[in-house]
Amino acid sequence: MKSSRTLGLVMIAPASVMIVLFFLMPVVLTAVFSMTNMTTATGISGGVYQIAPNSLIALKSALPEIATEMAEPRYTIDEAGLKAVEGLGLAPGIAAELRAKHAGEVFPARRDVERMIKDLAERPSTREVKQISEQFNRSVLNTRFDSKEQLFSALDDLGFKLTPEQKETVAKITYTGWTWTTDNFSRMASSPDMARVLFNTVLYVALVLTLFNVGYALLLAIWTHYMPPTPASIFRGIWLLPRITPVVIYVLLWKWLAWDSGFISILMGKFGYPPKNYLLDTAYNAWFFVVLINGFIGASMGMLVFSSAMKAIPKSQFYASEVDGASRWQQIRYIILPQMRWPILFVTCYQTLSLLASFNEILLATNGGPGNATEVWALAAYHTALRNYAGNLEYGLGAAMALVLVVIGVMLSLVYLRVFNYGTLVAKPLIED
Amino acid sequence: MAERSQPSANYRSWPVITALTIVSLPLLLMYIYLFLDTVTVKQPDALLPSGLTINHWRFLWQTTAGKANIWHVTLNTLLFSACTTSLVLIVSSMAGYVLSRLNVPARGFFLAGVMVLHAFPSVTLIIAIFIVLQMIGLYNSLIGVILVKAAIDLPLGIWMMKGFYDTVPWEIEMAGVVDGASRFRVWRSLVLPQVKPGIMALGLFSFLAGWGEFILPQVLAPGNQVQVLSVYLAGFLADDNNYDFNMFKAVGLFYLIPVLIAYALFNKYLMNIYGGGSKG
Repeated sequence: MKSSRTLGLVMIAPASVMIVLFFLMPVVLTAVFSMTNMTTATGISGGVYQIAPNSLIALKSALPEIATEMAEPRYTIDEAGLKAVEGLGLAPGIAAELRAKHAGEVFPARRDVERMIKDLAERPSTREVKQISEQFNRSVLNTRFDSKEQLFSALDDLGFKLTPEQKETVAKITYTGWTWTTDNFSRMASSPDMARVLFNTVLYVALVLTLFNVGYALLLAIWTHYMPPTPASIFRGIWLLPRITPVVIYVLLWKWLAWDSGFISILMGKFGYPPKNYLLDTAYNAWFFVVLINGFIGASMGMLVFSSAMKAIPKSQFYASEVDGASRWQQIRYIILPQMRWPILFVTCYQTLSLLASFNEILLATNGGPGNATEVWALAAYHTALRNYAGNLEYGLGAAMALVLVVIGVMLSLVYLRVFNYGTLVAKPLIED
Repeated sequence: MAERSQPSANYRSWPVITALTIVSLPLLLMYIYLFLDTVTVKQPDALLPSGLTINHWRFLWQTTAGKANIWHVTLNTLLFSACTTSLVLIVSSMAGYVLSRLNVPARGFFLAGVMVLHAFPSVTLIIAIFIVLQMIGLYNSLIGVILVKAAIDLPLGIWMMKGFYDTVPWEIEMAGVVDGASRFRVWRSLVLPQVKPGIMALGLFSFLAGWGEFILPQVLAPGNQVQVLSVYLAGFLADDNNYDFNMFKAVGLFYLIPVLIAYALFNKYLMNIYGGGSKG
């Protein structure tokens, strides 16, 4: 029957659509954006062509002579100017003669056009010459052109003699929108700030993972394993609290503990120490709390996985070892730990990815500070693209940084699929209709 | 648990309980004081409270200037987490069934894909999502955040539901098919009731995840009209001008109470998920 296949496709369609639209497409777009120089300055839609003071500076290094020419006003005897001259109420012969003899001419400097005006048959006074010449002042500076063609025709009208290559260079430099570029990646590779952030990330993942997500979680699981059921479940409950508490409150609690008006300050005050912000006063303290804050959340997952794995160990092994006079340490060493190999591997893999991507807690607790001592990769990407103190949000660079995490995530999870033997997870359906 | 290897006479549990209490102390302190500080008065340098008050809860009946109304924000939060939860439940209970039981093309590929996505730094996609929502005009609307949050929760949901469906005996379905019911009918009336614990667990998980979500609403819907509690509280925290720890804590407790109630009532379902997905 084909009905089951059709039904399957229909039922899986919503999931596919949502995953493609809000999960895969953003991944692809992250890759696309990472190849652009999108910022708040360029906007996220297309831009215009504008010879602004800062694009002139850029032009100066590429085409010095043309840049100097563009900085100067130009004088073009065009119809608009002639009309304006007629409106000035001077002797009518002036406009007529200009139109007849000089229409369409371009003068690169004020001196030239004024010399020409002085030589007219009517002989305008010096004051009139200035008035007339002003009407023909046509500068490209700060004019917006919606397309390349408009920019080029304006340049032609003003008598700039540019080769097509030079025109392209001018267009490229004066474009205000975003363009395609691979600069983001070379910036990432060469910036010392990024190296620092990378180091922070490795340190953060390694510390939290070994100390808490695996180490302390294992300790918790073993401790509660040997406890009577009631205290065991109480302690498990306590250690699950950080995970279920919304992150904003959880970090608020730590701030209450560590801030200058917080618990530790008050407690230390009783012993004569002045209050200080223990969370942010030195880089070491900041790291200490960042690891604790994330570790206290991370410990719970390992604890649950390890506890349930320990519960699955046959009791007879414990009884037998007790009969043989094994100490608790020997039980842990020879019964529990060897059977924890797979759970430990699983937690390590899973939590590496979670830690690489997590930045909520650090964002709320230290915001990467003091300085950027606790800035990790995900947080740096967030800061670069969405919350920048300089005010110019660098979407392109931020996307490139996010892309690095995406690539690492995909690669690691493919490796894990291998390690945990994906094939056994997909059994064939039994009803093959 | 009661029948587990109880320590024999040479094992004493009090040293372990003492050790565990000491390491749990920071957490205990934080949560106890979270409650205490919201209903008591305390001198600035005192460790113990000196009197009772409900003044810290004044945000419930007065709106701070420049901030959104708390009830409006709570309603937004409820709307956000309820919509996310229903979306995740409906979509992943269908998709999970397909991946567990129906023969669709590229099933293995889809399942592997979902698994890769599940272990994916989804929150890093927020940059692209931000730009896209700005382009299509869903920026600063709840709908945009709901869709994004649901999509991010989906891989876990699908994977979990697949695990729960896998434990349903095939005989139930075969009996239904033999009796002439369509596969859809079999799913609706025979299989779905079997995975109620899974639906409970996933529903609770999505609700708590949505309730606590911070970074998505912060970036994608920061406006006062669509603010949720996490963003509201973070706004308080970032505001140095009227700095009042006790009131923050009262807002925090107000925000935490539903979570604690849900956890107290349903923690056995939640364990399935926090333990690293279901046993599939």
